[in-house]
Amino acid sequence: MAAYDTMSKPDTRKQGAAGGWLAGAIRRNGAGYLFLAPWLIGFFCLTLGPALASLYLSFTNFDLLSAPEFIGAQNYVRMVTADPRFIASIRVTLVYVALSVPLKLAFALAVAMVLNRGMRGLPFYRAIFYLPSLLGTSVAIAVLWRQLFAADGLVNSLLAQIGIEGPSWISNPNYSLYTLVVLSVWQFGSPMIIFLAGLRQIPTDMYEAASLDGASPTRQFLRITLPLLSPVIFFNFVIQTIEAFKAFTPAFVISGGSGGPINSTLFYTLYLYQEAFSYFRMGYASALAWVLVVIIAIFTAFSFLTTKYWVHYDD
Amino acid sequence: MNTTLIGRRRFLGAGLAAASLPLIAGPAFAQATNNIRMIWWGGDERARRTNAAIDLFKAANSGIAIDAEFMGWDDYWARLATQVAGGNAPDFIQMDYRYMFEYARRGAIRPLDEFLGKELNIADFGQVNLDSCSVDGKLYGGNVGVNAFSVVFDGMAWEEAGVEPPAFGTTWDEFTAKCDAFTAANKRPRVNATADGSCQEGLFEVWLRTQGKALYNPDGTLGYDAADAGRWFAYWTEMRKSKACVSADVQALYKNSPETSPIVGGRSATDFAHSNQFESYQKLIAADLSVVGAPVLEGGKPGQYLKPSQMFSISSSSKNPAQTAQLINFLIREPAGAKLLGLDRGVPASAEIREALMPDLTDTSRKVVELISNLTPHIGPLPPSPPKGAGEINAVQIRISQEVGFEAVSPEQGGANMVDEANAILKRG
Repeated sequence: MAAYDTMSKPDTRKQGAAGGWLAGAIRRNGAGYLFLAPWLIGFFCLTLGPALASLYLSFTNFDLLSAPEFIGAQNYVRMVTADPRFIASIRVTLVYVALSVPLKLAFALAVAMVLNRGMRGLPFYRAIFYLPSLLGTSVAIAVLWRQLFAADGLVNSLLAQIGIEGPSWISNPNYSLYTLVVLSVWQFGSPMIIFLAGLRQIPTDMYEAASLDGASPTRQFLRITLPLLSPVIFFNFVIQTIEAFKAFTPAFVISGGSGGPINSTLFYTLYLYQEAFSYFRMGYASALAWVLVVIIAIFTAFSFLTTKYWVHYDD
Repeated sequence: MNTTLIGRRRFLGAGLAAASLPLIAGPAFAQATNNIRMIWWGGDERARRTNAAIDLFKAANSGIAIDAEFMGWDDYWARLATQVAGGNAPDFIQMDYRYMFEYARRGAIRPLDEFLGKELNIADFGQVNLDSCSVDGKLYGGNVGVNAFSVVFDGMAWEEAGVEPPAFGTTWDEFTAKCDAFTAANKRPRVNATADGSCQEGLFEVWLRTQGKALYNPDGTLGYDAADAGRWFAYWTEMRKSKACVSADVQALYKNSPETSPIVGGRSATDFAHSNQFESYQKLIAADLSVVGAPVLEGGKPGQYLKPSQMFSISSSSKNPAQTAQLINFLIREPAGAKLLGLDRGVPASAEIREALMPDLTDTSRKVVELISNLTPHIGPLPPSPPKGAGEINAVQIRISQEVGFEAVSPEQGGANMVDEANAILKRG
């Protein structure tokens, strides 16, 4: 916005080195910034501004109703020294990420490879498989899941047909988290579409040459498909990992906002939400949010560091 | 040859920051308006009643516009606190006994004493019902109705089992015996005599009070010890073992709402609820329900009390407090408005309003009025105001009741953990 104001004024004063660079950039790219303005305003006012405000609030005891008081790093200290629910939520979230991301990617790749064989009605199947992803974060799907996996739900009705009396999957702490993992895997559509596009870019002559040399399909998969697809796998891996860390809606809906039974579905984001909006510890919740950002950043950075061992870029 | 779909630089450009930043962006605030803004919690039935009453008020007061929004209990407090924090509080606020003290002491809602006898004609509510809506000697809300903790049961299910259902004055020992008899004679598969009450704060409170204890002392400390909580969890563990109450995974489906309760789910013949919820329970199932007081202790103290189920308060930042007070009066003290609200928010405190309601009541509503009348001679005093953190301690009780239910900890250990955690929360404030 500041950039926009300067742009409209004629350039009369003498510029310092940095100012001159800025003015020059604006003169050259003014129209571009103008077109970007809606996004820039949104980003600075609605995303970056509140984010920085939350960084400040994370060092206060803000409770929404009274003015925030600065309390130093107390929120952060409390998290690691005196908060068993924080530890529980980290554990639940890590288990969820560790299970849901690889399973979802494997499933998405498997479906993409089937669809890549070329079949009639491909656009139809692609759309059908993509559908759950579109509905993924919706409340309705979580409600549906609750119905499927409840004690009297469809899953148990099917199990009863073969003589098994299933537990109430969503309200039993031994299974509740895994029903959420299954829900996540079911929403494999968006990585699948990306895998499919990636598979399409692998030249078919490579497979033909490999076949002539007598390479088995497994060997072709391991030696051609995986290496050439590795940038796409990596992209999906990072995006899905971030998404999994941020998962909220399914646990919120299925556990009724409690993260229960017994903290078994207490996702990090759900705990954060409880602290902020159930117990009004906005300062502490802000600190939790920043710790999550750091955790995600560390995971992502670590993923990038591993790329040189397994991701093949041609460019 | 370029076989990669996504190159290194393009990937970074995709903006991981953009992917993770929305996490820490705060809420946006809505615009303020000049009319009376009203916020309340509740479900569809309450919305129907409330909107009808608002329409009638608007018809009689053409100068006043009303802009009402409602939502479920869980979302309500987050929304309200956010609006108050954003300097955008609604004029008319539906308030709960637990939150009233916090909002009043922080100056978020205003005293109503100046409107008494003018816009607000609620002197006939009686001192008890005015005191229960007061903080530090000042009135902060109009009492919308009283309720009591209650036992709800399906009389037909008990009759089929050939056992007398719980009644007023049933002791805890008798309650156990009745449930055991039900279990022995039970012909309905998958139905237990009762829901598991160990997660119910209201029931725990009544149980404590009959023994001369309380959830909280007047100074805000815990009114019971680890042994008390341990005995509470042990009682329900016995009930669970004898199959008198539902199993832990059935009870864990309960999320503090009638729709998720074991009795509505067809898994128990008895359940526990606040009396103003009784009509919601009845609407959800075909079986004819009855409602009685909670079990008592032989020779014990009165455990139950009449609680203001909710109150209507006015935001301290309201620009139209007098008109808002007028609206409150219309809803709780004028027969035209109060009739439309019915008993959905509790039994009205004014005898005159109760009289006016009586002819229109359904059988279900009548049962609630009877419950309150039957309990009134046996009630104890209103407990002291719950301290800050009481809501969180309620959540702790639910979680520990599940830990005990799923046998992750023993009842004794559960009791000790609960007191430890509750004290930690109270200390933190």
